[in-house]
Amino acid sequence: MDCVSCATPIRQDRPHTFFHHERAACPTCSAQHEGRVVLRNDKPVRLLLCPTCGPSEETLEGTAESYTAAFLARGEVPEGFEGEIEFKETTSTCPTCLTLLPAKVVIRNNRVYFKKNCEKCGPSEAMVSEDAKYYVRAYAFARAGTEPLVFPTKVEHGCPTDCGTCNDHEQHTCLPIIEVTDHCNLECPICIVDNQYSNHIELDVFSKMIDTLVRNEGQCESVALSGGEPTSHPKILDLVRIANRPEIGRVVVITNGIRLGKDREFAKALKESGAYVGLQLDGFTADTHEKIRGKDLVKEKTAALRALKELQIPTQIIFVATRGVNDEQIGQVVELFLSEDHFLSLNFQPAAYTGQGGGIFGHDPMDRLTIPGVIRRVEEQTAGKFKTSDFFPLPCSHPQCVSLTYLLRLNDGTHIPFSRFVDFTKHGTLLRSSATLPATPEMEKTLQDVMYDVYSRQDEIERGTEILAALKRTIRTMFPDRPLTQKESLLIGEQQAKSIFLHHYMDRHDFDLERLRKCCHHYPQVDGRIMPACGFNMFHRGAAKGTGTSTPSWGKKPWTKENGTTRLSIVNQ
Amino acid sequence: MKLCEGHIAFVTGGSKGLGKAIAVTLAREGAHVGFNWMKSEVEAEETLAEIRAHGVQGFSFRTSVLDKQGLDDIVRTMEKDIGTIDILVNNAGVSDVVPLALMEEEDWDRVLDTNVKGTFLTTRAVLRGMVRLKRGRILNIGSLAGVKMMQAPVHYSTAKAAIKGFTESLAKEIGRYGITVNNLAPGVLEGGVSVNLPKGRLDEYIRHTALGRLGTFQEAAEVAAFLVSDRCSYVNGATILVDGAV
Repeated sequence: MDCVSCATPIRQDRPHTFFHHERAACPTCSAQHEGRVVLRNDKPVRLLLCPTCGPSEETLEGTAESYTAAFLARGEVPEGFEGEIEFKETTSTCPTCLTLLPAKVVIRNNRVYFKKNCEKCGPSEAMVSEDAKYYVRAYAFARAGTEPLVFPTKVEHGCPTDCGTCNDHEQHTCLPIIEVTDHCNLECPICIVDNQYSNHIELDVFSKMIDTLVRNEGQCESVALSGGEPTSHPKILDLVRIANRPEIGRVVVITNGIRLGKDREFAKALKESGAYVGLQLDGFTADTHEKIRGKDLVKEKTAALRALKELQIPTQIIFVATRGVNDEQIGQVVELFLSEDHFLSLNFQPAAYTGQGGGIFGHDPMDRLTIPGVIRRVEEQTAGKFKTSDFFPLPCSHPQCVSLTYLLRLNDGTHIPFSRFVDFTKHGTLLRSSATLPATPEMEKTLQDVMYDVYSRQDEIERGTEILAALKRTIRTMFPDRPLTQKESLLIGEQQAKSIFLHHYMDRHDFDLERLRKCCHHYPQVDGRIMPACGFNMFHRGAAKGTGTSTPSWGKKPWTKENGTTRLSIVNQ
Repeated sequence: MKLCEGHIAFVTGGSKGLGKAIAVTLAREGAHVGFNWMKSEVEAEETLAEIRAHGVQGFSFRTSVLDKQGLDDIVRTMEKDIGTIDILVNNAGVSDVVPLALMEEEDWDRVLDTNVKGTFLTTRAVLRGMVRLKRGRILNIGSLAGVKMMQAPVHYSTAKAAIKGFTESLAKEIGRYGITVNNLAPGVLEGGVSVNLPKGRLDEYIRHTALGRLGTFQEAAEVAAFLVSDRCSYVNGATILVDGAV
């Protein structure tokens, strides 16, 4: 998906790299608040927004490099140590009343936990990572965000009440997810939204949302149409047509695939519209579908896969991974993904327990799947095709949110992870929130650098000669001797590389305000606001613990249609 | 300290003429030097002895610059025995005085292949190590005939002009690895192509030089040794004329 401008190294308005959150005292009134540490001009600086006294900042000791090294060292566990190490602190939520509250981030038995204590509901713990080493190391990948052209809201009370996005948000919109309907043909036990079966978005409203996106961002590599089930929108093809404009690279319809499988004319029309498909596919057995999607969907998924293959519709597979339900089928979906060229990317989403289904889905917050757990299963279940070391945190989002690997297509049709021949610490440009590689000048330079790296170490690298041949093909294909249109430059890298993403959305157990601060997956709203996804799910949708969850005073409900007018509800204001 | 102390150089066509002068001068300046040759074993042995006389290691290979496998073997051998080549002098070249009207396709191919393709193949074989090292010096031996209008065979002038283009593009491409690429373009040198020139044409050429004489191999080799040394760190993509001002 989606971040052409993430290649831009720094924000122009505030040239810093957001690093993490920590609490500090306001220099004027001494009240404790959560500040953010940023790296600016090689110095660590803590920015604080006091609701009473306003913004302040303090330059911390040392250089950015020494600060980062000391920060990472806090997470190092001495050999043989069996106790608990306090790594850092952040702001999370009480899993019972959803109040924002301080959380200690601790390491125990190579796992990471949040420890919280709500005045009203008492103490709680939640496991946030199955691999402390991965968790700590991820911070080393932090990269400066990219400024959107327009921030829809202003800073008034601080994160997350000012969403969205306010001009203290640390990242632009990489992936806009527009919920075009709240109708659905499934009632998924794991559903993270809250379908009311009341609205299909009107074309003119949708068109304005796209205008707003383009105004805010200039261009978007991808726009996702979601729901509900977007193919239940009676004018879904018109929506695709509206979104399919020169400034937007891909329009991705996120679907359960039921309509695609049974309505070939629709599938053909979708193909002709130029849309891409994000196919929800969480497993291959009736039992799995029943547990996650509420019914046996083996036939429907098989039919959808057949339609996608026959029509060669570019497809992203989305696999929601849940411990004890489908985590043994992770290898199988990877093999499926590798088997066909029209599968461009595979997106694993460790389940987030929020929404009308997910909020009440049975789970143990102390023993759940997280990104490192899915990666480990990918390695275990793919007979050596992948190693855990093939995956890297995505630097342009918060590094705890997304992990990824790119796979170069060799000329014999097989794939090899870039990590086998690329040093990602040198070539960070390749770690992008993008399903395929865009033909940007930065990418051309990076690919040339990578090619020279491989060339210089050809004899040491597994399949070095084949990799060089594939890189040559990739560079030739992506950078032809002719000018490319904006859209072409985004899409021309397809078929050269595939990607596997792991994106862990947050819920009431592992919510981390620090991650929300740099969220780049956003829900655009009809009133022009761009709501960071997990903040919207937690505080605004009203379903963080299932349908009917109360929202805070500053919460804003999703758009609704009343008396023939679409509007965004402002609740309890 | 000598100009090239501790470096490892490879000179193509290094058994005689300008190539020999460069190879021996680099040895004098402290570099370990390998070279390839094709025709005279006796000349190669003499050159090798002169290199080693400077107390450095010398390597002699009977290999064509058009032999990809042979070039890879040279790089591997020197890598194993002494280390990664970090100085490359693409000197090997051929010419013959043939007017275009009589030039056969095979004449054209022979000159273009040895002078241009040989430079490309040798560079590609050696460059891998330099990229790994993140440093290196590549010096291509061009000619005044590739820069100015001269009465020279057109295939030779074409090849030497190509060397200039090769130098400039490659310098741009690999500068980020700390590797410089330059083009040393001599005028007519004693014992070089001058031996094939009719006296009248030679006299006319000398009349146009400011110094009023031909250059020598050694004069060009001294410049070459500086251009591939650490002291010459900010000359890149350049064509350096060694022509006494024509």
